[in-house]
Amino acid sequence: MRTFWLAFMVLIGVSAASAHQLRTASTTVLFNERTGNIEVLHRFFLHDAEHAVKQLFDKKADIHQLERTREQFSDYVQQRFGLATLDDQKLPLSHVGYEIDGNNFWVYQEAPIVPNLKGLKIRHKALQDVWQSQQNLVNVEGNGPLQSVTFNSADNWLEVYF
Amino acid sequence: MNKSKVWFVAGLVFAGTIQFAQASAVSQTKGNFVDKFRQLDEVLPTPNVYRNAAGEPGESYWQQQANYTIKVRLDEQKRRIDAQETIQYHNNSPYTLKYIWIQLDQNIFRNDSIAERTSTFNSKPDTSLGGIDKPAKISLNQLRRQQFMADNELGFSIDKIADSRGRALDFVIVGTNMRVDLPTPLKPNQKTELAIDFGFNIVEEDAVGARSGYEHFPDDAREGGNDIFLMAQWYPRVAAFTDYEAWTNKEFLGRGEFTQEFGDFTVEIDVPADHIVSSTGVLQNPRQVLSNTQRERLEQAEKADKPVFIVTPEEALENEKAGTDKRKVWKFSAENVRDFAWASSRKFIWDAQGYQQGGDVQPLVMAMSFYPKEGGELWEKYSTASVIHTMEVYSRFSFDYPYPTSQSVNGPVGGMEYPMITFNGPRTILQDDGSRTYSLSEKRFLIGVVIHEIGHIYFPMIVNSDERQWTWMDEGLNSFLDGVAGREWDPSIPWGVEPRSIVDYMKSTNQVPIMTQSDSVLNLGPNAYTKPAAALNILREVILGRELFDYAFKEYAQRWAFKRPTPADFFRTMEEASGVDLDWFWRGWFYSTDHVDISLDRVYKLRLDTKDPDIDWERRRQEEADKPTPLFVQRNQAEGRKTWVELNPGVRDFHDDNDRFTVTNKQRNAYQSFLEKLEPWERRVFERAVAEDKNYYVLDFKNLGGLVMPILLQATYSDGTTESLNIPAEIWRRNAQSVSKLIVTDKEVVEFAVDPNWETADVDIENNYYPRRIMPSRIEAFKYNRSTDHISRDLMQDAKTKLKSAESEDNKTEENQEEEQN
Repeated sequence: MRTFWLAFMVLIGVSAASAHQLRTASTTVLFNERTGNIEVLHRFFLHDAEHAVKQLFDKKADIHQLERTREQFSDYVQQRFGLATLDDQKLPLSHVGYEIDGNNFWVYQEAPIVPNLKGLKIRHKALQDVWQSQQNLVNVEGNGPLQSVTFNSADNWLEVYF
Repeated sequence: MNKSKVWFVAGLVFAGTIQFAQASAVSQTKGNFVDKFRQLDEVLPTPNVYRNAAGEPGESYWQQQANYTIKVRLDEQKRRIDAQETIQYHNNSPYTLKYIWIQLDQNIFRNDSIAERTSTFNSKPDTSLGGIDKPAKISLNQLRRQQFMADNELGFSIDKIADSRGRALDFVIVGTNMRVDLPTPLKPNQKTELAIDFGFNIVEEDAVGARSGYEHFPDDAREGGNDIFLMAQWYPRVAAFTDYEAWTNKEFLGRGEFTQEFGDFTVEIDVPADHIVSSTGVLQNPRQVLSNTQRERLEQAEKADKPVFIVTPEEALENEKAGTDKRKVWKFSAENVRDFAWASSRKFIWDAQGYQQGGDVQPLVMAMSFYPKEGGELWEKYSTASVIHTMEVYSRFSFDYPYPTSQSVNGPVGGMEYPMITFNGPRTILQDDGSRTYSLSEKRFLIGVVIHEIGHIYFPMIVNSDERQWTWMDEGLNSFLDGVAGREWDPSIPWGVEPRSIVDYMKSTNQVPIMTQSDSVLNLGPNAYTKPAAALNILREVILGRELFDYAFKEYAQRWAFKRPTPADFFRTMEEASGVDLDWFWRGWFYSTDHVDISLDRVYKLRLDTKDPDIDWERRRQEEADKPTPLFVQRNQAEGRKTWVELNPGVRDFHDDNDRFTVTNKQRNAYQSFLEKLEPWERRVFERAVAEDKNYYVLDFKNLGGLVMPILLQATYSDGTTESLNIPAEIWRRNAQSVSKLIVTDKEVVEFAVDPNWETADVDIENNYYPRRIMPSRIEAFKYNRSTDHISRDLMQDAKTKLKSAESEDNKTEENQEEEQN
C-alpha cells in the first residue's frame, strides 16, 4: 500500500446540518459557434458568496459593497476552475468579467474553441475549501447533447466525451 | 478508450429503460408512444379507509399518541444532561403491539452508527496536470471532529427502562432505534407507560456539525467563558407507527429528518440559576424562575406594538460576567406537539411582543427572541418582527397559528425548526473599535432564515409530513411559502424560487426525481427546496391561477393539520380541491427528471381560397409574378437582347396573349356549380370566411425537454400590439413530442413567442421565437453592456479632465470618491 501524505487544510465550516442554506453553484460551459469561443458562466448564490468571502479573505470583505471583494472572489473562482483537453493540455481561459444579477453572482471566462475536441477535462473546486458539502454542477452545452458533471469535495478532474 | 466509454454510457441507458419497463405495471410494448397524461393510478397507493381517494384522512384515520413527562438536569461543567422520562403511549391503531420502537437520535454520534461508518472521505490525492501531485487534504475541522468523538463518549446511555409498576423491561438497541418489549401485548385503544432513565454528553455543535449542541464563548468576561446550549433530539422519542409503513425503521443517517407522533409534554428543566431558558411550550412557574420586573415586562409585551426586553442587553451582559452554584427548575408544558426542544444560557437577551392574532384558536401568541450580545442590534430589530410577519402570511395560506408561543433563538445552529421554537444562526460582526455591525447580506440572511424556520412550525411541525422519507414535503412547500412571505416583507430582496432559478439544475443530466427518499437525494438544495418550490410557484401563477391554487393549498393544510400526510395525500388534495387534473404535472415535475424545453419550430401562414376563379387565379398569377426573375433573363434584358417573338410579331397567337392563369367560362361555371351544391349552412360559413379573409397560421411545436407544459404563446401583430394565446398542457396528450396548432387572427402576425416572460422554466429561450431571434449568450450580452458602460464612463472622465486644471491631487480625490461609490 502506497502511503500518501495527508495535508492540512483550513476548512472553516463543518457540513453543518441546516434547514436553510443551499451550498450549490452551477456553471455552464457553452460552445458558442457564433463567437468561436468556449464561454464559461459561473453562477453562485449571492447568499453563499456573501458568507464565503468573509471566510476566504477577511471579515470586512463585503460582496455587496466592495468592488475589491467582488474582484477577489472572481479571481478565487477562476483559480479553482479549469478546463483541459483529454491529453491534459490546459485551455487558457481569459477573464471576461463578473456581475451581480438578482440573487446570483456571476463570473465569466472564455477560451477559443479548440478544433476536433474529443472531450473535456473539467475541474471545479470553488467553495469546497469553505464548505465540504458544496456541490458544483457543470453543464456542457453546444457540442452535441448536453452533458453534466457534478463536483463534490472528493472530485478533482471529471471528464466529458463528445 | 474513447469507444469503450461510449459503449459504457449506451449500456447504462439501455439498462435504465429495461428497469423502467419492469417498474411500471402498464407499459407500451409496441412503438414508442409515451402517455404523459396517464393517471397516477398504479403509482399512488390504493385509497383506503385511512387515506381516501380525495387525499383526505379516511373514515378510519388513526394516529398514535405519546405523552411525555420529563425531568432533565443540565450539568454545565460536564456539558451533559441526565433525565428521567415517562412516556404514556396510546395505541389508537387497530393492531395489537408486542413492542414499541424508540428513536435514539443521539446515537448517530456513536462510532458504530451507520452514519459514522458510512461517512465517506472527501479528498483524494490531487494529480495536477503539471505533473506535480498534491497530497490529499484533511481539514482541521475534520480532525477536530474526529478528536472530539474520540475524547467524548457520545450517544445515549440508557440506564433503566421500566413499566408503570417499576418492572424492568427488555430492550434491544439497533443503531439509532431501540425496541422495547412489552410485558403484555398492547391492544387497540389501550395505553401503556414506559419509564426511561437516560443521559448523554452534549456534542459541541461547531466541532461535530449537528442539529443541536453547545457553543462555547471563551472570550466572555466570566472565567472559563460561557456556553449556549441548544437541546434537540435530546430524549428517547417514540418512533412513528403508521397506517402506511407500520413502525418507522429507517435509521437516522443525518439528512432524512424526523417522523414523529403528536402528544402532550410536561418538562422540568433544571439549570444553573442565572440561565434563561427558551423552550417549546408555555412556562408554568414564572414566579419561581422570573423576577417581578421580568414578569411585568412580559405582561407589557403582550399588548406592545414593538418588541419589549424581558432581559435587556445590559442585564444580559452583566449576567454573563458571573456564574452561580444555585439552580432553578423551569417547568414547561406543551399540548399537541410532535417534538420538544429547548435552549439555555446565561448569555441570553430576551425580547417579546404579543401577536394579536384574533380568532378563536389562539387569539394571543407571544413572539419571542433569545440571543447573546453577538446577535446584537440585528436581532433586536429583525428577529421578533420576522416571527410575527411569518405567522401573518403563513396563516393566510393555511390556518391560525395554534400555539401560544413562537420563538427564535440564536446559537450555533444555522437554521433548524421545532414546535414553537427555532434555532437561527446569523450574527453581527465585532469591529476593531468594539462596535458591532452587520452587512446587508447578514440582514437578509436573518430575515430569510427566521421566516423559513418559523414557517416550518406550520410544515412539518403541524402538517406532520414524514421527513425521514420526504424532505420535499416540508422543505419544498416551506420554500414556496417563504418566498411568498419574503416578497411581502420586501419585494426588492431577491428571494429565489423563480422558475428561472432552477433551469441549470433541471436541464442537467445529474439529478434524481423529487420523489426520492431524503438520504438518497444527490443534490438536496435544488432537489428538495428549489425545484418543488418553483413547481408550486408555476402551478399557482401559470397553471391553476391564484384563486384555485390558494384554495386547494389551504384545504391541504387544514385537512392535514395535526395529522400525517403522505405525498399522495398532497397530490390528491391539490387535484381534488382545485378540480383540475394535475396527474401530468406531478408525473412530470415530481416523478421524472424531464425538463421544460418547448420549441416553436415553424410557422406557416395560410390564406383561404375564395374558389372564385376570377379572384384565386389572379392571386396565383400575382404569386408567379412575385417570384424573382432568373438571372439569365435579367441579363438578357440588360444586354438589350430582343427575343424572336419580339422581332417577328407575326408569330404571336392566342397563347401569347393569354397566360395559363386566364380564366374562362368553364371555370366560372364550375364555381357556380360548386356554390349551388353547398348546403345552406355550408354556404353561409363559406361566404363569411371568404368575406372576413382572416389570417391563418399553423404553428409547429416540439417538446424537446420531455416535460409537458402549457404553451404560453404571445403573438405580436404588425401594428405593434401583442396578445396572449395560452394553450393548456393537454395539447400534448396524444403526441408529447410534436404538435401543430392553427391560430386564426384578424391582424397580421409578425412574431410568435413561447413563454416570453420566463414563467415555465423553459431551458432554451432561443427556440421560443419565430422568426428566430439571435439571442446573445450571457457573455455576449455582458460584453455588450460593459462596452457601452465603459464608453459612457470614459466620456465623463474626459469631460471632467477638460474642466479642471490638471492638478494631480484633485484627480486623486476623485478616484477615491469613485472607489467609495463602488
